[in-house]
Amino acid sequence: MTLKEKIESNRFIVCGEIGPPKSCDGNVIREKSKYFKDVVDAVNITDNQTALVSLSSIASAKILLEEGIEPIMQMTCRDRNRIAIQSDLLGAAALGICNLLCLTGDHQKFGDQPEAKGVFDLDSIQLIATVAKMNSGYFLSGQEMKKAPDFLIGAAANPFAEPFEMRLIRLHKKVEAGARFIQTQPVFNMDIFTRWMERVVEMRLHEKCAIFVGVMPVKSEKVLLHMKKEVPGVNINDEYIDRMKVARDPKEEGIKIAVEMIHTLQKIKGVRGVHLMPVMWESITPVIVKEAGLDVLE
Amino acid sequence: MSLDFITYGKPPISPRERKLSRFMLFFEDAVKVPLFGCQHCGECILSSTAFICSQRCPKRIRNGPCGGTGEGGTCEVYPERKCVWYRIYNRSKLLNRISSLYQIKRIHNWNLEGTSAWLNVFKKRIEAPVWFVRNDKQKVKDIVSGDTQRKN
Repeated sequence: MTLKEKIESNRFIVCGEIGPPKSCDGNVIREKSKYFKDVVDAVNITDNQTALVSLSSIASAKILLEEGIEPIMQMTCRDRNRIAIQSDLLGAAALGICNLLCLTGDHQKFGDQPEAKGVFDLDSIQLIATVAKMNSGYFLSGQEMKKAPDFLIGAAANPFAEPFEMRLIRLHKKVEAGARFIQTQPVFNMDIFTRWMERVVEMRLHEKCAIFVGVMPVKSEKVLLHMKKEVPGVNINDEYIDRMKVARDPKEEGIKIAVEMIHTLQKIKGVRGVHLMPVMWESITPVIVKEAGLDVLE
Repeated sequence: MSLDFITYGKPPISPRERKLSRFMLFFEDAVKVPLFGCQHCGECILSSTAFICSQRCPKRIRNGPCGGTGEGGTCEVYPERKCVWYRIYNRSKLLNRISSLYQIKRIHNWNLEGTSAWLNVFKKRIEAPVWFVRNDKQKVKDIVSGDTQRKN
């Protein structure tokens, strides 16, 4: 079953995430993919996350396909103009990649090469519209193509950044442009998330797109403090920091928090799945899926 | 798809028009640069962003803030600045122009970069500005419930 069919079949979906290596060693992805095989429904492949050069997301997604895992390819607008984006999309479709997550992309300032020129020819909403147009058989120029791709279009949403109401407007635009699933930033503040989700349900956006909520298991208190300080647009409740601080085994506590969070999320109306994103800790995904009892949902 | 997301370069800009555009830019800049911090994109959307230039965003996003807006609405790239979209949202609320934020903005036509937006409006390359938004709250309700078939 493909992700598209799974979304239509109304079951709870689990996505994983792999960051491609900063080298040309494709075996790293093959190694990591073992943790995800038959555990999750689809795996995100990041596209030069935080503007650090890494193996291209198209190539990594192809490797995952060969390993029998369904990839969700991320596509950012930071590095490509509209010509390159359309050409890359055609290439991805030709390789059999059919899930796409459209992002604007982190600013190049956060990477190791802040001198680079950021392209930002399109933004995420315009990228979604571009893919939707290509799905219908036309290039941006209006020219018809012989064989149209069939991408399942996804988009990101951040319920935790200000201004909160504007986030919903943007979500509305993304859904209107053609996004069929939404992956949110990792949740570390349940209050804000519940409020956001209530508004989403009120606007009836959850009927038009499947919402997968980001869950990020952390290894230690240090990670949380770093994220709170350095990563923009993340809101971390002090409760989690305190819990990690007093825990005898921080890793165990991190897993516990993630599992608890998944159980809470399953009860919230409109949540269609979770997106597990343990950064640099991919091996933990199967453990969490098992502990949360998501493996018996099949 | 009913929505067309791109501004085409039609009619093309003739050399004579470029000269005229430069002449008009003299007056346009005198107003737009000191008041709005105009970035000369040539495809002005000031009227739907509550008269704050969205092109001052480091990512030049035309469709709303990226996910990195910090606490109190700071820009993620330049933390000493306020996110332009944070300001746009607040002023839209103040001026009752929220419904215009729901519009999906077209993909920028780079041929228009550095030309006079006023001339482009006159030549019907880009949309004319909307000066008054009436019944903003009702419009937002209609958009959210999907009652109206909106034109982009």
